[in-house]
Amino acid sequence: MTDLEDTQPKPENKKDEPRVGVYVCHCGGNISDVVDVEKVVAEAAQLPGVAVSRTNMFMCSDPGQKMIQEDIQKGLVDNFVVAACTRSLHETTFASLLARNGVNPYLLEQANIREQCSWPHHGQEAATAKAFTLVRAAVAKARRLVPLNPVRVEATNCALVIGGGVAGLRAAGDLSKLGIKVVLVEREKELGGFVRRLDALYPDEEPATALLSRLVEAVRTDSGIVVHTNSEVTGIEGYIGNFTAQVRKNSDSKAGEIRIEAGTIIVATGFRSYQPAKKELGYQKLSRVVTLADFNELLVASAGDSAVLEFEGKPVRSVGFVHCVGSRQIEGVHKPGENGNINRYCSRVCCTATLHTACRLRRRFPDMEIHDFYQDIRTYGRGHEDYYEQASKSDVIFHRYRAESPPRVAKAPAADEYNLLITVEDSLTAGEEIEVGVDILVLAVGMMPADNATIIDNLKLASSSDGFLQEVHPKLRPVEMAVNGVLLAGACQAPKDITESCASASAAAIKAAAILRKGYVELDPYVVKVDLARCEGTGLCVEECPLDGALHMVGEGNERHVEVNPAICNGCGCCVAVCPTRALQVSGWTLDQYEAMVDAIVADPVEVSS
Amino acid sequence: MSTIPSETDALVIGGGIAGLQAALDLAEQGYQVAVVERQPSIGGAMIRLSKVFPTLDCASCITTPKMAAAAHHDNITLLTYTEVDSLTRQNGGFTARLTKKPRFVKEDLCIGCRLCEYACTSSMEDEFQGGYSGLRAIHIPFSNAIPQVALVDENACTLCGQCISSCPTDAIDLEQKPQTLEIQAKTVIVATGWKLTPIDAKPQYRGDSIANVISPLQMERLLAPHGPYGRVLRPADGKVPDSIAYVQCAGSRDATLGVPYCSRVCCMYAIKQAMLLSGAVPLADITIYYMDIRTFGKGFEEFYQNAKAMGIEFIKGKVARITENPDRSVKLRFEHIDGFGQVEERQHDLVVLSLGMLPGDNPGRMLPIETGNDGFVMLPHAKDAPCNTGVEGVFVAGTATGPKDIVDSIVEAGAAATEAAIYMKQTGITSNKSESRVL
Amino acid sequence: MSETNLKAPPKILILATSSCGYTGADATGQAHLSYPPNTYIIDVPSPCVFPENFYYRCLERGIDGIIVMSCGVECPFEGAYERLAAKLDRVSLGLKKRGIKQGRLKLCSVCTVCTKAFLKEVNEMNDLLIKEQEESS
Repeated sequence: MTDLEDTQPKPENKKDEPRVGVYVCHCGGNISDVVDVEKVVAEAAQLPGVAVSRTNMFMCSDPGQKMIQEDIQKGLVDNFVVAACTRSLHETTFASLLARNGVNPYLLEQANIREQCSWPHHGQEAATAKAFTLVRAAVAKARRLVPLNPVRVEATNCALVIGGGVAGLRAAGDLSKLGIKVVLVEREKELGGFVRRLDALYPDEEPATALLSRLVEAVRTDSGIVVHTNSEVTGIEGYIGNFTAQVRKNSDSKAGEIRIEAGTIIVATGFRSYQPAKKELGYQKLSRVVTLADFNELLVASAGDSAVLEFEGKPVRSVGFVHCVGSRQIEGVHKPGENGNINRYCSRVCCTATLHTACRLRRRFPDMEIHDFYQDIRTYGRGHEDYYEQASKSDVIFHRYRAESPPRVAKAPAADEYNLLITVEDSLTAGEEIEVGVDILVLAVGMMPADNATIIDNLKLASSSDGFLQEVHPKLRPVEMAVNGVLLAGACQAPKDITESCASASAAAIKAAAILRKGYVELDPYVVKVDLARCEGTGLCVEECPLDGALHMVGEGNERHVEVNPAICNGCGCCVAVCPTRALQVSGWTLDQYEAMVDAIVADPVEVSS
Repeated sequence: MSTIPSETDALVIGGGIAGLQAALDLAEQGYQVAVVERQPSIGGAMIRLSKVFPTLDCASCITTPKMAAAAHHDNITLLTYTEVDSLTRQNGGFTARLTKKPRFVKEDLCIGCRLCEYACTSSMEDEFQGGYSGLRAIHIPFSNAIPQVALVDENACTLCGQCISSCPTDAIDLEQKPQTLEIQAKTVIVATGWKLTPIDAKPQYRGDSIANVISPLQMERLLAPHGPYGRVLRPADGKVPDSIAYVQCAGSRDATLGVPYCSRVCCMYAIKQAMLLSGAVPLADITIYYMDIRTFGKGFEEFYQNAKAMGIEFIKGKVARITENPDRSVKLRFEHIDGFGQVEERQHDLVVLSLGMLPGDNPGRMLPIETGNDGFVMLPHAKDAPCNTGVEGVFVAGTATGPKDIVDSIVEAGAAATEAAIYMKQTGITSNKSESRVL
Repeated sequence: MSETNLKAPPKILILATSSCGYTGADATGQAHLSYPPNTYIIDVPSPCVFPENFYYRCLERGIDGIIVMSCGVECPFEGAYERLAAKLDRVSLGLKKRGIKQGRLKLCSVCTVCTKAFLKEVNEMNDLLIKEQEESS
């Protein structure tokens, strides 16, 4: 038989060769309903280098972990293969299991036999064969794993909070109280963000000014927080523990650029309001079509006691509200925005915000006619349903439209009692087309992702298809970005109300504190390592390297060789590919390991198991 | 884990996903945390779910790592099957009186081998599996429970003694008595969670008497890969259902039930189950009767639109009455809301009542915190301090303050941990010892 | 196929980037979308690491087709994608010189949610290789 694996370099002394343990998960049927797990385990036991091969219903569960732990304690296994779900789900589970038991956590390789085997494949024979091949490739790599240690980087005890709305304010205050220095950068002249445009807030009717002064006061009086208003982040670079941001101060007195060094970044850039397309629901064509925020400002501006609301010098007798403007859009009905996309998502807060305003309007003007054009009323939060209840009981008239046929808005004929004429197919009356007269039409515009282009480009951040920033995993790591050290707070992640923004800001604060409180950060060791015995000093690698300062040549003549700065090297491996002598390898992902995996894949399974 | 400390920095009441996340975040700050859970395993409601919306990740895959991380963390002590009787303020901190309920199995000796389970002669309903399968009177709560320690159900046990002779470690003690414990803590996080509105809350839906009218948690188990039947069958007769219906707001938005509020997760769990059902029972018709579809979270609306595109039928209508047909199918009488309010009757093989969320406990019974008319913990500054109970040193996370989905509960748990950590810092409490290990 | 052609199905090696292609493959599995099992996905942080001869070696050893599923211009490694694309162009020319069909090596971009793109690439490669097998037998 040809065991291709044996053609690969590995330790000369057989005694030093690591003993591999293979652990195959059933995933409660997720894997074992399709893959014959017992067969994979039996075949894996026969592979060269494999000392034990075992299975469990849930490898990630306590009994599954105990099984691995026992093998460690008995000294049966050096390197580990877990064949289960995809790496991203449980790599830390198993790596920390190894670490807790005194084993270098990098002596772990995973075979993805769920997402990339049992789920997409159906025939048991083929899926089992593939699962075994994946296990064999993982074993081939595992035999070539060596212990690695994290790169330790000193971290600047400072968090940069971008955005001074409620989320940024809350995050900054929390961080400072947790002992972390904070620099808060806000684009506007004043702190407070979108909430500054609001008046009374749901669900407790507290004035926005009271809420904001509480949050702003806490930040302004905290000596651990430096605030830059009227300032914009124009560039940002670095990595966890050592970010550097360029900030342009736009204030008239002291304009200029400053540099901020920070160990973590909390992105709290919020959202921007949807701008209705020209003529959408009559917006910008008819002056009496306004957004909800505009209307709330009109309410504040109009004298508190007057029994009549006036607009453009005329009394307002009837007001209409339209929900889902710029939200829940559907292909073919709504035109894509500037970004080429339609907003398929729900903006979450507009239903409650709209009915909250409708209720306030009703309280002030008991005789006003109020119409509400909606698809579904989504008053989901605590106390929110009360606004719906109140509105329904106080003669707010609800009209349900279908997404496919939004209300149509026209200027009413001069003779008409009202200013605007709304035509809607009201499904509450079997889709009959009805006409409703109003004096003002209020559009509950949705939330759009803020313009985060600079930070997205500079830091290579992920955004989801709706354009909002995308967390690593909604449940496992809901406030963390995939780029280490970058955290999320508030509505830059998705539409959120004030409560939800503050909660996510506080959650981000404790994650940032966990990174910075020790004064150093440990980074993945997946950087390039030089084998000086092999380096011939050609310098080809330095020419190829895309990063400034990651590689440089030292020494003269025969001594000339390359040196790596592990805090800058990102492990892209461009240099590895051009080295004529294989003197460079990315730790944890070496060419030898890859070649061994490929050889394991091409080896005929029948030969190996026989 | 077997030794119970007499003091700790933070006491977390409830070992569901919110309590565990709060405990993990505090432990990562170097604080000592004790988590008290009244059930025999941590993991709360989430570990009972099949898959979770909107990503359709398997719930177990997301919950088990957090459960294991908490169980293995040097700074966390888990006290399962333990009730908090009272919390009193003392010396600037709190004294908690706890009752450790008898498992009739010594936790420190049990190795979770299940030999007792195989030897046991009496059985009981498995509540974890929706009551659809059996358990022995002595059992490990469920396959991925933490800790993996058996317990005896007093009501089901016949005292035959078979378990005692089968146990290789002499762990069984049928004479075990409840144990009273006291633990001092500097701060408290209430994460007492939620429970379903009772299935018989609306008598006209007859959820208690029609076998094919089930709760959403029962459907979760039918859908789970390691569920009671391994596939979706209707419970009354084991028939593969051809037609399945969901009745939304069956325990919410109804003042007559004392639950005027929206339970926030039912629309999404119904749609999620409907999608999973169209995979599990591809030929079945699925209908969702609703008042408003509330898919407001990140990725939720897109999820709903996908469900519609998959052919799941959504009817805006109010279900008035549910009755059983002689062939055990179920008759739904409902009034269309879209339209002229016409009344219609339809037959389904299986009906799921989308029940709502009630508070899981009344924390007011153990400590002086206020609850609202809805029974959930009150928040004096809900907007900018969503985890602050207003009582010094007491914070709250997850569904203890109202219905919430998993993501929102987890985020809030992080916020509660921040509040608790700040409180301890401001009152001059430094973390009680060991640095947590990094990885 | 098996009755007229006794050859085993072609082996497709997929070098998928951790941040895009590999996650896209996972997403395809999570959606339970089906694709041929003769596909072997290797998680690669940055495919730039492979020298040109790595690809020739794979094909010599018995891999029938290689798909490099990268992040494209979204590549998290600065400057790496451009180098990768240039390199694969050179390998492609090298294949031609060696009389190997250039279609047996493909560079594409598959994002974390690109389940359709993933399926398309896999199926296209599989169809191409099967056709080639049939022609040669």
